[in-house]
Amino acid sequence: MNLLSRLVYWSLNLWILGYTVILGLALFIQFAYSELPCPLCMLQRYAMILSTLGAWWIVRQAEAGTLTTVGYMQGLGLGTLGAFAGAVFGGRQVMLHILPGDTGYGAPVLGLHMYSWAFITFAVVIIYCAILGILAPAALPQAPKQESPAARLATAAGLAFLAVVAINAVMIVFLEGFAWVLPDDPTAYDLFRH
Amino acid sequence: MDIIILFVLLVTAFAIWREAHRGLVLGLWLVALVLMIGLFRYHVTSSLGLSF
Repeated sequence: MNLLSRLVYWSLNLWILGYTVILGLALFIQFAYSELPCPLCMLQRYAMILSTLGAWWIVRQAEAGTLTTVGYMQGLGLGTLGAFAGAVFGGRQVMLHILPGDTGYGAPVLGLHMYSWAFITFAVVIIYCAILGILAPAALPQAPKQESPAARLATAAGLAFLAVVAINAVMIVFLEGFAWVLPDDPTAYDLFRH
Repeated sequence: MDIIILFVLLVTAFAIWREAHRGLVLGLWLVALVLMIGLFRYHVTSSLGLSF
């Protein structure tokens, strides 16, 4: 049971790290190749953050030693709902570009467009949360001892996630500017136009 | 709206980091979700027009 609890803890950290890397790559593509995100792309990024907040909440409670079965299930619930919302947003964008001859929005990555990859990751998260729900409460996540190298690694993953959310928050101020919402097909950072 | 959503998400992340009260985390998370659904509804204005 101990091993399973530790595995669950590290798999939650993998979830946090995975979406942090994806969000970081999306920012890299945006800045390096000047590919500005459309409103649906941004909604999928928000859903990734929303979903990951559930995982991070569980991890933080496990580290503080305050995690209960209720807290665990609430975190999984947040993760599932966030991923479901993301799947709806991603699914809508996939459907917009599904007809033959449509080249899609943005450049494909490893053969699929980013919204298609996003949809796949949301589906994976929903299935993963379902499995963790089945395993609970036998496998309540167990954090490593504080100040250990493993604990520092988990803290670094959490802080990297926090940093990527903060960078997105700064970036959106430049992208949206003084407008109430993003245009359907952004061509420039709106703040610089005023 | 996007700016508000991302700042609510950022505040929620900080609340989790600072081990804030459960109700605050859940409340902020829910506000972000509702705003996101509202924004999705705003942007989705037409039916897909697909026929299989």
